[in-house]
Amino acid sequence: MIRKLYMKPAVREFLRILLAITISLGLGFIITLLVSEDPIGAYRAFLTGPVSRINRAGEWIKEAITLTLLGLSVALVFKAKLFSLGAEGQMLLGALVSGTIALFVPLPSVLRIPLALIAGMLVGGLFGALPGYLKAHLNANEIVSTLMLNAIALRVYDYFLIFHIKPEGAGYNASDFFPKEGVLPTFIPNLPFLADAYELFSRRANITIMLYIAIVVVILVWYLMYRTPFGYELRMMGANMKFARYGGIDTKRSVVLTFAISGVVAGLAGAYLGMGIHQKLIANITIGIAFEGIVVALLARNNPVAVPFAALAYGYLRAGADIMERSSDVSREMVLVIQAIIILLVTAERVLPIIQQRVSAMRENNKATAPEEGGQNVV
Amino acid sequence: MSFDVVLRSIFSAAFLASVLRISTPLILPALGGLITDLSGAVNIALEGIMLTSAFTGVIVSAYSGSIFLGVLAGVASGVLISFVLGWFHLHLETDIILAGIAINILATGGTIFLLYVLTGDKGNSQSLASGRVPNINLPLIQDIPFLGRVISGQHIFVWIAFILTWLVAIYLYRTPWGTHLRAVGENPEAAETMGINVKRTRMIALLISGFLASFGGLTMSMAYLTIFQREMTAGRGFIALAAVYLGGRKPWGTLLAAMLFGFADALSHQLGSLNIPSQLVQTIPYFVTIMALVIYNLREQAIKRERRRKFQEQHMQSVASIES
Repeated sequence: MIRKLYMKPAVREFLRILLAITISLGLGFIITLLVSEDPIGAYRAFLTGPVSRINRAGEWIKEAITLTLLGLSVALVFKAKLFSLGAEGQMLLGALVSGTIALFVPLPSVLRIPLALIAGMLVGGLFGALPGYLKAHLNANEIVSTLMLNAIALRVYDYFLIFHIKPEGAGYNASDFFPKEGVLPTFIPNLPFLADAYELFSRRANITIMLYIAIVVVILVWYLMYRTPFGYELRMMGANMKFARYGGIDTKRSVVLTFAISGVVAGLAGAYLGMGIHQKLIANITIGIAFEGIVVALLARNNPVAVPFAALAYGYLRAGADIMERSSDVSREMVLVIQAIIILLVTAERVLPIIQQRVSAMRENNKATAPEEGGQNVV
Repeated sequence: MSFDVVLRSIFSAAFLASVLRISTPLILPALGGLITDLSGAVNIALEGIMLTSAFTGVIVSAYSGSIFLGVLAGVASGVLISFVLGWFHLHLETDIILAGIAINILATGGTIFLLYVLTGDKGNSQSLASGRVPNINLPLIQDIPFLGRVISGQHIFVWIAFILTWLVAIYLYRTPWGTHLRAVGENPEAAETMGINVKRTRMIALLISGFLASFGGLTMSMAYLTIFQREMTAGRGFIALAAVYLGGRKPWGTLLAAMLFGFADALSHQLGSLNIPSQLVQTIPYFVTIMALVIYNLREQAIKRERRRKFQEQHMQSVASIES
C-alpha cells in the first residue's frame, strides 16, 4: 500500500521537496551551531517566530501574497518550458505606473484603486510580452533579453522616482506616502459587527484585500492552464515544443501570450508592493524579492493550486529569518543560504534517484544473494 | 556647465583612464561568460563567482597580510564555486540557470553572513586592513603626454584583463581544446560522436569561466575599492553576459563591448553635470545589447538558410551527375 503510494509521481515529488527542505534546514541548524552563542534560541526564533505574535503573522501573510503572485507569474512561463527572469522589471514598472496613479489621479478610492491595479497589470503585461516577442519572432535568448529589460526598467523606475515623483527637495529617494484613496484597504470590511477584528487587523497586521485578489488570480491561472485551449497549448509546448508546432499550434503566438500573461501577474505583484506593502514608492522596491518567484514555482512544481502553499511555506522561512536576526546574533542572510540549498536539491534531477539507488543497493546487499551490480549501472 | 566642457572632459586622459578602470571588472567576467556561452551554457552565476572571490580576497589578504595570498585565495574560491555549479549541472543534472541563480543567492547570502560573523558589520569590511594590488608605472610611456596618463599608473588587473583576452582568443581559436569547446557548444551530439567528452569539456569551460570572473571580483574589492561591500558587484555579472552578445561572441569583440558599457557608465556621470539624467543614459547599452542579440540571431538564421540551400544544390548536382 505504501509502496503503491510511493509509486505515484506526485507523492514522490512531494517527498523529494520535503526531503530538500529538511536537509537544508538541517544544514542551517549546523551553521547556526557554529556561529551562535545561543543556537537553540536563535533557531527557535527562526522556526516559531512568524506565528508567535499577530503582527508577525501579518508580515508573513503579506509576504506570502507577494510570493504567490510572483510564483504564479513564473509557473506560467516554466509550464511552457520557457524561461523568464523578467519579473523584476515587470514588477518595477507595475509599481511605478500604479503608484503614480495612486499618488496623483484625483479619483475616489473605489475608482482609483482598480484603475491603478489594472494599469499596473497592463504595463507588466506589455513589458512581459516584449521578451516573448523577441523570443518567438526574432529568436533572441529570453534569459538574456529579460535580464537586459530588467536593467532598463530599473533605471527608468529610478529616473521617474528621482526626477518626477519624489517631493521637491527631499533628501531621500522615495515618494510621499500614498493618500488613503490610493492604498489597498484592509481585508476585513469596516462593518459594525466586525469592528473589533477590523480594529485589530488594520492597526497591527495590515493584510489588505490583495489576499482575496491573489486567491482569485490562483483560480484564474489554474482555469487558464487546465480548462482553456490556450492552457492546452501552453502545456503542449511544455511537453514538447516541436511536437506542439507540428500539431498545428501557433507556437509564436502562444509564446508571446505566455510571456504577456506572466507579465500581467508580475505587474500586479509590483502594484501590490507599492499600494499594499510599502504604501509609497521607494528606491530598490523589488530588492530581495526579484528572483523569489522562481523558488516558489519550483517548490510548487509549476502547479498553480500548489503555489499559495509553497508561498506560505517559503514566506514563513523568510519571515522567520527576519525575526531571528532581530532576536538573536544570527543574521537573516542565513535564510539565503538555506534557500540556495533548497533550489539546488529540488532541481537536481538525480539527487533522489541516487539516494534510492543506494538504499536499494543496501537492501540487496543485506539479502546477500544478489550481486552488487544492481546499484551500479543505473544511469 | 556647458556642453563643450563636458565634451572636453570626455576626451581628456583622466576620463579615458577612468573608462579603463571601470571596464576592467566587466571585461574579466565577460570573458568567462564568453567561454561558457561558446561551450553551450549560459553562466548566470558570474555575479556570484565575482562576489565570492571579492570577499575571499579581502578576508584572506587582511588576515594573512599578504596581497598575493589574497589574490590566490580569491581565484581559488571562484574556481571552487564554479566547480560546485558544474558538478550540480553536469553530474546531478540541475538546470544550469536555476543552479546559477542558487549560486548567486548563496554568494550574496554567504558573503554577508560571513562578513557579519567575522567583523560584526553587515555593510562592509572597513574594520579589516585588506590589501590593494599594485599599480603599474611604465617607465618611458608615462612621459608621453596623453597616452602616458591613460595607460600608465593603472592597477595590475587592467593589464591582466587585456592579457587574458589575448590568451582566451588563442585558447579558443588556436588550440585543439578551444576547437573542442566550440564544437561542444555548436552541436553536443556531433561532438560526442567525434569522441569529445562533452561533460568534461563543459566542466573545463565552467572552471575557466570561474577563473576569469574571479579576477573581476578581485578587481572590485582589491583595486577599484579596497574593501568588500555587501552586494558590491551590483549586477556586473549580468552586464558581462550582455557584453558577450554585444561583442558577437568573440574575445576582442567582448572586450570592446565591455568597454562600451564602461564608457557609458563613465559618460553618464559626466552628463550628470549637464542635467541629462544619468539613469536614461545608462539604459542605452542595454538597448544596444538587445538589438545586437536580435541582429546576431537574424544573421545566424540567414547563414543557416544559405548553408541549407548550398547543401541542397550540391546534393542535386551530385544526384544529377550520378544519373547522367
